[in-house]
Amino acid sequence: MMWAQRVVAKRGGPPHELLEIRATATTDEAQKAFHKIARIAHPDLHRAALSAEELEVLNTAYAIVAGAYQAFRSLPPAREAPVPVTRSGPAPAASSAQSMSPKALLYYRKAELALKRGDLRSAVLQIKLAIAADPQSAFLRAALTEVESELAR
Amino acid sequence: MGVAVGIDLGTTNSCAAVATPTGVEFILGSRAERIHPSVVAFPQAGGVVVGADAKRFRLTEPQHVIHSAKRFIGQNIRAPMVQLALTGIRYKVIEGPNQQPVAVLRDRRMTMPEISSHVLLHLKRCAERQLAQPISDAVITVPANFTDAQRQATKEAGRLAGLQVMRLINEPTAAALSYGFGRDRDQLICVFDFGGGTFDVSILRLQGEIFEVLASDGDFFLGGDDLDRALAETLAGECNTVLNFDPRPHPVLMMKLMMGAEAIKCHLSENDGAEGEIDGIDLPSGEVGSLPFSLSRGQFEQLIEGYINRTIEVTRNVLVQAHLTPQHISDVLCVGGSTRIPIVRQRLAELFDREPNYRINPDEVVAQGAAIQAGSLSGSIIAGTGMGVRDAVPTEAHSPLLFGGAPVPAGALKRPVLLDVNPATLSIQTAGGYAERLLDKNSPIPIERTRVFTTARDNQTRVEIACCRGESRRYEENEPLGTLVLEEIPAKPRGDAKIEVSFRVDADGILHVRAADAESGAAQEAHLQVFGAPVESAE
Repeated sequence: MMWAQRVVAKRGGPPHELLEIRATATTDEAQKAFHKIARIAHPDLHRAALSAEELEVLNTAYAIVAGAYQAFRSLPPAREAPVPVTRSGPAPAASSAQSMSPKALLYYRKAELALKRGDLRSAVLQIKLAIAADPQSAFLRAALTEVESELAR
Repeated sequence: MGVAVGIDLGTTNSCAAVATPTGVEFILGSRAERIHPSVVAFPQAGGVVVGADAKRFRLTEPQHVIHSAKRFIGQNIRAPMVQLALTGIRYKVIEGPNQQPVAVLRDRRMTMPEISSHVLLHLKRCAERQLAQPISDAVITVPANFTDAQRQATKEAGRLAGLQVMRLINEPTAAALSYGFGRDRDQLICVFDFGGGTFDVSILRLQGEIFEVLASDGDFFLGGDDLDRALAETLAGECNTVLNFDPRPHPVLMMKLMMGAEAIKCHLSENDGAEGEIDGIDLPSGEVGSLPFSLSRGQFEQLIEGYINRTIEVTRNVLVQAHLTPQHISDVLCVGGSTRIPIVRQRLAELFDREPNYRINPDEVVAQGAAIQAGSLSGSIIAGTGMGVRDAVPTEAHSPLLFGGAPVPAGALKRPVLLDVNPATLSIQTAGGYAERLLDKNSPIPIERTRVFTTARDNQTRVEIACCRGESRRYEENEPLGTLVLEEIPAKPRGDAKIEVSFRVDADGILHVRAADAESGAAQEAHLQVFGAPVESAE
């Protein structure tokens, strides 16, 4: 229950915080975190033990975490804007990857795939190539900083 | 809590079961049948007849026998697919309030939830008789791609039948639950659910007690009924040539041809050819004619090829959505009566390069899964309350939960955790006619997502939030779900107001929309009232 109240209080916060994972976690790690939460906190498992009000809080908390998981893992199907590598919350519409040039976007997608494999070096290379194709994108620079700092660790 | 029943409310047939610590017990009809036709008859003589007995009235009074109500439940009667489906039925359906389809029977008018509630009530009574205790709680299954309105209408049917609907679960998920429950598997499976009226395909990852749907898609207007209709149309054409008489405007004759078509279809699943004649065709001359037919399996397959291609195409597509290839899938479950058709199995085997799993019973597996979920939600399956002793005796109705027949260790099972998904992207209309996505297709449910929007004009005090369902970026290309109005927003320059819009899809797959002004706190919350949905009735 304490977990549920904490999540509800953090409503609208960055997805990785709600899932209690690192901002640079892979989608696999996000899935594991979400499954762990589901195993323990899925509202169906607590129907009998909780009061109606408590169950409502748990329902809300679980739904919020599911929303965070979805936001975190949305990988770019064809026409969708890619999720920023930094994953620090929903991308602000104006500066997001949507404004990237198509060529840069192509490199950026490869960077995401490399990140998924956990291959940070290739990811850095691909993001640099993307920046070469679209030097104006503040979004790509932010992504590069994020991945480079992760690599340094 | 008492025993909760799991109900597979199908287009053609329904099936109900209860889970107990040792297995699943099916609810039997008056002739010990596990499968109950979803047919409701309102015969001339009065009363309401449901199930196998109702089928008898199909030939004498086809206009008073309601079948396939599931095809119309929660639908907008003006939708083109509904209009097409209406050509395949012989009872009268008109437009009711809120564009919902309403069946007309002599002097009575009945909504689709009212008709379905008769099927549910029948199952409830059978269960009460069999278990010798009152039943009030139920889990009801729906096709995975059912819309919000269809789900709400199904819940309404349950309520009208005096059932507390604990949960609506998706049919393919129920099948997967029945397949994997208590078996501690770790695998990726595909559930191919091709029933009487609907088609669904879901990809699931089973990991211990977790049943996670990765992607799901389908068509709620594609099923055995369509195959029967295609064949009946051919027979009608034949009738026109051979007997020089067009049966199409005659409901009784067309019903006869539909029944003939269904029988031929089933025969061809077991045999290479079907030959015979359909008797009792009343000709305008007053004579009674008979229509000879001769059809090979190949000819039938040609006739239905378009439908089968569509199911395979949807299956390919859903694999792409799950970011998987056919080689990743370790088992393909065949669910629904139409998977008995050999060409369907053959095409599935070609796609996945493995024999699909048809050891499971395609007609019962969904009800079995619903019963497991009902037992889990009510606690009876875990705590060992209720019916343990009674189940020690194998009966006609009893089916062991585990394939190996090993008894389930009481209390040792973990409750299953179903992570199902939202079947279609849910969006709101923004300036310029675009659809801004709030919840993507295949997001896990229950889920909540909030986004902040703003005003488009200076001093705007009222916003209309138009919600839609579908994958297009353009609002008008999607299916409208309804509009929420937020008033008394403090007047501000455009772009300054902050309006939080929350979409929440509950575990039943039903959408709740909430809009609030971040500063004043003025909020509006709504179930969307959609076209075709039952009008809220006063309790």
